[in-house]
Amino acid sequence: MDTPAISTTNLTRRFGDFVAVDSMNLRVTPGQFFGFLGPNGAGKSTTIKMLTGLLAPSAGRMEILGLDLASHSLEVKQHIGVVPEGMALFGRLTGPEYLNFAGRMYGLDRDTAAKRTAELLEFMQLDREPKKLITDYSHGMQKKLALAAAVIHGPRILFLDEPFEGVDAIASGTLKAMLQRMILRGATIFLTSHVLEIVERLCSHLAIIHQGKLVAQGSLEELRSGVRAVPANEHLPDALAGKLTLEEIFLRIVGGSRSNDQELSWLT
Amino acid sequence: MVDVAPADAALVSPDAGRQLRAIALLRWQIFKNSLRTMRGRLEAVSWIFLGFWFAALGLGGAFGIAVGSWWMLSHNRSDLLAALFWPIFIFWICFPLIATAFTEVFDSSNLLRYPLRYSSFFLVNLIYGSLDGGTIVGLLWLAGAAIGISVARPSFAPWAVLALAIFGAANIFLVRALFAWIERWLAQRKTREIMGIIFFLVIISFQFIGPLTQRAHRSHFQLPSYISQTIIIQQFLPAGLVARAIDGSARSDWLSAAGSLLLLAAYAGAFCFLFHIRLRGQYAGETFGEAMSREKLRAEKTETQSGWALPGLSGQLAATMEKEARYLSRSGPMLFALIMPIVVLLLFHMGGNPNRPNAVSHNPNLAFPIGAAYSLLLLTNLIYNNFGADGMGVQFFFVAPVPMRSVVLAKNLVHGGVLALEMFLVFLATYLMYGRPAPDVVAATLIGVLFAIPLDFSVGNLLSLYSPKKYDYGAFGRQRAPGLTVLASFGVQALTIGVGVVVVLIARHYGTLWLAAVIFAVLALASWALYRAVLGRVDGIAASKRESLISVIAKTT
Repeated sequence: MDTPAISTTNLTRRFGDFVAVDSMNLRVTPGQFFGFLGPNGAGKSTTIKMLTGLLAPSAGRMEILGLDLASHSLEVKQHIGVVPEGMALFGRLTGPEYLNFAGRMYGLDRDTAAKRTAELLEFMQLDREPKKLITDYSHGMQKKLALAAAVIHGPRILFLDEPFEGVDAIASGTLKAMLQRMILRGATIFLTSHVLEIVERLCSHLAIIHQGKLVAQGSLEELRSGVRAVPANEHLPDALAGKLTLEEIFLRIVGGSRSNDQELSWLT
Repeated sequence: MVDVAPADAALVSPDAGRQLRAIALLRWQIFKNSLRTMRGRLEAVSWIFLGFWFAALGLGGAFGIAVGSWWMLSHNRSDLLAALFWPIFIFWICFPLIATAFTEVFDSSNLLRYPLRYSSFFLVNLIYGSLDGGTIVGLLWLAGAAIGISVARPSFAPWAVLALAIFGAANIFLVRALFAWIERWLAQRKTREIMGIIFFLVIISFQFIGPLTQRAHRSHFQLPSYISQTIIIQQFLPAGLVARAIDGSARSDWLSAAGSLLLLAAYAGAFCFLFHIRLRGQYAGETFGEAMSREKLRAEKTETQSGWALPGLSGQLAATMEKEARYLSRSGPMLFALIMPIVVLLLFHMGGNPNRPNAVSHNPNLAFPIGAAYSLLLLTNLIYNNFGADGMGVQFFFVAPVPMRSVVLAKNLVHGGVLALEMFLVFLATYLMYGRPAPDVVAATLIGVLFAIPLDFSVGNLLSLYSPKKYDYGAFGRQRAPGLTVLASFGVQALTIGVGVVVVLIARHYGTLWLAAVIFAVLALASWALYRAVLGRVDGIAASKRESLISVIAKTT
């Protein structure tokens, strides 16, 4: 049996009395494009932060490529790339300076770092204004740069926290092209996103977290089957359940939205 | 046509008072919420301690000034009042610039999304910007002067209070205008370079003061006449004008008193106007980043350069050092702070009496150690808050396969390099302005710094992790250090200076300063051992403090 790319055992994170992630057992196989979904405040970012070393777990165990993250954090970090929530950019560097810096921090020699920097800047179409400071970049440019920095060392696993948030269609297309290329070459991608259509289109496997608990995990087909198993959805005919979109599956698993015409009546 | 009348009866025209109260409440809530964490509570306790220090300075000074002004008025020597008001003026203006750790310019730019009128924006900036140590101490001192004058001559009280109030307002406007304009000049490379050139021209021009004075002496130039000219000029500057306004009324020369008061009010108005010009620009949404025009950016398209290669250092260390150096070189305010030791040497030199060559103002053997100590003091803003300027980038250090001790070591190496450069500039400035310091003084000072710097690095590295604070390298005066850090740096500086004094006294007792160099060398070994021990623990501490560090440094609001 293959060593999982990512696996967690009873992973828990508490903030005081609040349990943000509750005994999570997650398993991601190498080569999967894995979507990690959940409503706001469900524990997605907390999980991804723990998996990338930005946050310590309160309890439980995490293994990346079979290595225990607690005891082998530096080895693990050599094999992963991360685009965290804040993108981890240094605003007062230029794009080329930042990519060069990132490459060398991941252990690339000077020449390789410079060569890959040039290639990535060109691929991401960020090579037109090399002297521009990152702080003056648009949001989409910053996302592209953060992704470029996360892949400059050729990671085996890529963690992306909301990579498509605030990104226009052109930049989004570039990002998706790069991610699909990585999957074809055997990398594993773990991403969180609120844009369910993108997740549905890109991801082969999914997990849904709700109120800190992992409530569903598997391929889209497996999730559709799982929806039928939820008592509230028992009335769903098989034919209809087989056509559910990811958004419908998601809403059925985590609960619907409120709608009351009388609420906020003062809004024009 | 679109109807813009409020659809909601609860929506009224924005009222400045209501908005100011809302901002005050916001700041109070932010403070109250900060007390929920241990770090916030420690911070509050630290500022209480620092508050005592400022209270002692403010109230002690106020008492002295009250006694002085009472004596002058009751002995009919109101003509000497300028001698009290000039130090107040100089402290008020220079303290915020020299001790930026105590100064915080209220950043109101994010309030502009609300329907804030310009008058409210101006008031918010003025009121919250004035809540710094220098202004509070200055106001206390002016209150002392008002009390002293009122006790000595009760009938003058209204006039004196009016004059002092205008003087206080002029100082407040001047400090705020200075901060606003310096920030604007430092925001862009071009204006920064112009400012740098002007500064160095001023430095060079001061080199001619000595020879010119000597020449004047040789040509039987009368020094008293030189001093009397200075006295005449100072009468037309704010501190001289307030003294003249009070002195004029004491001598019943109401024309002179009223004229001085009017001129003082004109100064206050002019400073207010200068402040207004900057704020008006900010209110209109102007920003001065390093951004170049698109055409220029495209024209500057270059080949991607390889990063730094530093002999004997790993690629990761070299990359972090390069990043730090680039950050520092793009920070106008930081570069401005780094020239302050030279400015202080210049001020000492200008303020001294050339007829007393052994005074601090003309003794290279004192100027060099003082410049070195001040250089070290200025670097504490950097050393004691290593990650402060990293912003979101701080996350990168935790996701990259690099031990945190390497990152911290790289930052220390860059800061050490900056100090070395600073020491060289101080030496050069001392040499040009004061003459060459003695070799034993140079050796004792340099080895003394080698003892002090690892101590600062050790405590600074710990505080950078335990008590971080986000600050913006691009904003002048918006980088007040955390209270805990200020207290700890005070402690370390006091210890260093105390040890330094004892070592120098021992060396003098045995008649040779070379002995001080030897003792400092022994102490430096112990200090470096401490540094190594702390550096060895950085990984563990960083892992345990990463959440608070990231949440503070990478926060967006």
